[in-house]
Amino acid sequence: MRDFLKSTRFKILLGFLAFLVGIMIYAVTKGGYSVSGASFINTITKPFRSASNGISMKMEGTVDKLSNADKYYEENQKLKKQIGELNAQLTEYDAIKAEVEELRKFVSIKEEHEDYMLSQPCKVLGYVTNDPFKSFTIDRGSADGIKVNCPVVTAEGLVGITVEVSEHVSTVRTILSPDLSVAAMASSSSADQGIIEGSVLASENGRTRLIHVPKKNKLKRGDLMITTGTSGLFPKDYPIGTILDIGIDSNGLSVCADIQPCVDVNRLTSVIVITDFSGKKEEDKDED
Amino acid sequence: MRIRTTREQRIFRFKTTLRWIIYYLLIFISFIIMTSGTLYKPVILVPLAVGIAINNNIYASAVTGAICGFLIDICCGKLFGYNAVILAFFCIAANLVFELYLKDRFINYFIITAAASFLQCWLDYKFYYQIWGYENVGRIFRKVSLKIWIYTVISSVFVFLVLKLVNRLLMPREHLTIEEAINTNIQSENRR
Repeated sequence: MRDFLKSTRFKILLGFLAFLVGIMIYAVTKGGYSVSGASFINTITKPFRSASNGISMKMEGTVDKLSNADKYYEENQKLKKQIGELNAQLTEYDAIKAEVEELRKFVSIKEEHEDYMLSQPCKVLGYVTNDPFKSFTIDRGSADGIKVNCPVVTAEGLVGITVEVSEHVSTVRTILSPDLSVAAMASSSSADQGIIEGSVLASENGRTRLIHVPKKNKLKRGDLMITTGTSGLFPKDYPIGTILDIGIDSNGLSVCADIQPCVDVNRLTSVIVITDFSGKKEEDKDED
Repeated sequence: MRIRTTREQRIFRFKTTLRWIIYYLLIFISFIIMTSGTLYKPVILVPLAVGIAINNNIYASAVTGAICGFLIDICCGKLFGYNAVILAFFCIAANLVFELYLKDRFINYFIITAAASFLQCWLDYKFYYQIWGYENVGRIFRKVSLKIWIYTVISSVFVFLVLKLVNRLLMPREHLTIEEAINTNIQSENRR
């Protein structure tokens, strides 16, 4: 031992240890930054370490999966259940959100037209089977103050009119039907008036028609047609649809136009019925 | 002379009741299918009513036809009773034709159903569209009525299969006495 302590080997090792301590002290003084040697080593060994780490992680993962399979299975089931619950909540939330948006639109109708007496929002129960003019039933009836020939609307525009009312269900005839005629005028000029009436051809594309317009008119594509309210069946100035094409009627005496309704009648989920408005005709048995 | 034991009578009643419950359950399901969605759909209640009519007695057929008709009126928004009259008539006619002239075979049922549903679609077109003289009204017949008729005829195949299954399981068979069996056998041999 004494020989070793006196040997050159011991002195060299001691010197090396001192060098290491020196490095350590130097590293302390760097305040968290790597010394250049460490940085160099890190840079050189990075890809190898990364590869080996990847392999070892994979192996560890496999071993972990095998050894903790039951635990993971349970956890998985639990998470699946949680996801199911969250999805249900999300669906509910979406439905409520859609409902709130719809209600907000209906509130805007009341704000814009204070004279309207509106029903509660009505859900569309379903479309009348195989009806080419898309009549539909709603979940409100005479018990909710709805009568025959009440206008049916959404915030976007006129939908149709109630034609059959029972206590809790009503049937609505839409503006696509040739059996419903609505007096209309252009929103830009009240002089340009006509009748909105559905047709077989137009209803195939979810459109309706404007007929009996005098030849001298200022109508153009894109004009918004609104109700005139002269018949007392529909409120005044309610949007119906916009003009798509203008042409001469088959009788050659008047002008007609294709109308794109403001409301997509084929995809309604809820509507509102105007049970009363200023200018409403009392004996509302005849159609507009 | 038929001899039915109390047990046989009980089975007969049970099977008949269950069969009718299933018939009406099928009618209800068909009604729900017809009322859902916005696309054109087959009028499934027509083949169903005809299918029930050809295997049961004439009164039950008429009543079932009328009920199916009322349901069609409700879901198709027609005058309440309009289809009930038509379908009750079809069911009575189908029942009589099958009792007197036709055997209970698929092809016969198919032809009768096709004819009945065509008449129903045609009458519907006549009374609800053509009579009012709408412009281009012929398009409704070509694009709506015929389409619905074809769908109905196709659906009748499935309706027949379901009814066949129900009848096979729950239609009570007549029990012959030994005497009746022998007599029937002798009669058939004599015919040969």
